[in-house]
Amino acid sequence: MLLDSVQSAFLLLFSFNPELFEIVGVSLKVSFGATLIASIIGIPSGFIIAYSVFPGKRLLLTCLNTLLALPTVVIGLFVYSFISRRGIFGSLDLLYTQKAIIIGQVILIIPVITTLAIAAVSRIDSRYRMTALTLGANRFQMAVVIMKEARYGILAAVIAAYGRVIAEVGISMMLGGNAKGFTRTMTTAMALEYDKGEFVLAVALGITLMTFAFGINMLFHFFQGKTRHDTV
Amino acid sequence: MILYKLENLQRAHGSRTVLNIDFLEILSNAIYTLIGPNGAGKTTLLKVLAFLDRPSSGRLHFDGQLIRLNEKHLHSLRRRVVLFDQNPILFTGTVRKNVEFGLKVRKVSKEVRKQRTEEMLELVGMENFADSETRGLSGGEIKRVALARALALHPDVLLCDEPTANVDGENQEIILNTLKQINREEKTSIIFSTHYLSQGQRLADHTLLLQNGSLSDLVNENIFRVALSQPKAGKILCKLTEHLSFTLPTERVPSGTDIAKLHIDPQKIVLDPKEKDMAHGTYLNGHIFDLNQEGSRVRVGIDMGVRLTVAFSMEEYRRKQPRLGEKRELFIPYDAIVCTKSDLLQS
Repeated sequence: MLLDSVQSAFLLLFSFNPELFEIVGVSLKVSFGATLIASIIGIPSGFIIAYSVFPGKRLLLTCLNTLLALPTVVIGLFVYSFISRRGIFGSLDLLYTQKAIIIGQVILIIPVITTLAIAAVSRIDSRYRMTALTLGANRFQMAVVIMKEARYGILAAVIAAYGRVIAEVGISMMLGGNAKGFTRTMTTAMALEYDKGEFVLAVALGITLMTFAFGINMLFHFFQGKTRHDTV
Repeated sequence: MILYKLENLQRAHGSRTVLNIDFLEILSNAIYTLIGPNGAGKTTLLKVLAFLDRPSSGRLHFDGQLIRLNEKHLHSLRRRVVLFDQNPILFTGTVRKNVEFGLKVRKVSKEVRKQRTEEMLELVGMENFADSETRGLSGGEIKRVALARALALHPDVLLCDEPTANVDGENQEIILNTLKQINREEKTSIIFSTHYLSQGQRLADHTLLLQNGSLSDLVNENIFRVALSQPKAGKILCKLTEHLSFTLPTERVPSGTDIAKLHIDPQKIVLDPKEKDMAHGTYLNGHIFDLNQEGSRVRVGIDMGVRLTVAFSMEEYRRKQPRLGEKRELFIPYDAIVCTKSDLLQS
């Protein structure tokens, strides 16, 4: 049965089935949007946390590390309570839209990007900071120098976050509602097809998702390797 | 003109005070050398002078104004002072981009940047590496590029933390000659730290000695750790090594300690004394292992089980003609010896 499903899935993939490509398109678009927003927030936050000394820094780092293991259904439930019709932002009609999925996914990966950015920036030799300052750089110019030196580590953080959102199912299901053509992502479609007992599309999407996951991991390891090479 | 003035300046890390300077004035347009053993506080002092580290207490004046420790004020001061690090780091990219960095953040025009970069790379002999990636450069080349990067800014003050450490002889000469040249031609004030007294004094107009974070009057050579015995007939036996010891009058030795720091002034040691004067000094023998000239003076290294430096004038050198490998007698007058209770354990 599995072999039949895999064979049919490959046939579906190579027949360029429009429904399949629509689902993949929604997944990529939503994941890209979430990763972009989370990067804009997470990367500067990681830099500020790494280079600042303030009371409660250790506690904040512990909280961020704890948030890495936050279940997607908890985030789904949390965001739902705000954007559902009776929630504070209910009037914005965000529930069961791609925007709702993006909001949930941003919350999911901000801790991922922030903690990995902290690690990437902290690995950078403190002499870069000192050198930039003594050559007359201001705080912002110094930050640009550090970011440039930590670019591979930061890129690895972004890729890891993208991998996390493209593979999650809880948030997409709870906040997107799995509406065909609008909020149906690869993972929610797979869950639905499984429920229906239709394995062909589920396996085809699984193959696509695995291919993406493999590609993302390859990129992640490539950039991580670059980071290590640079620090030798 | 006074460039820096430090008053009761302290820098502490936790409970440990790494820098403690009561008073120091540094003049502009001069070359200063900062000498001291490892952990003496040289790097900390240079970082404070470069406005990269903030003193824990005390007052720091620069160019007549009291330094306020807010970032905006410090940033404007950093544009006049550059620290050339002991182990400089180059940014990823080409040599040219590195040298241009400080000019770029100052919004200097592209043409001026290009011209000044080329001038500075030529000054340090790295003009052929302008478009090379920094990754492949050797330690000496990295130092020269970092020096060019600092000099491209035409700073009022150049602070150098052990500029010739871990660098071969050829690169050392290039770096030292460059420092001399920019001081002479551009009137850049230079303060550089070094372990080597001879190198420091050869280049500098003034010498600052740091020990345990404080300025010291003692020259950082001929300093030994000695074990003291119980006083006997007004004298105390000072043991430098298992086989080398001599006596000192009790009043010249600090009381209540078994271990002391001994400093012997190299200029007061007498080579081949004519008459014995046991009442005012001690006699030792050793082999000459080093001879070198520093300006109008000659320094002679003598191995007596510990290595001692003797300094005398050219005239005295010609008269006594010490030769390498020879065994010679030394007279160390008591007034050449300073014995203090100290935790400096350099031997």
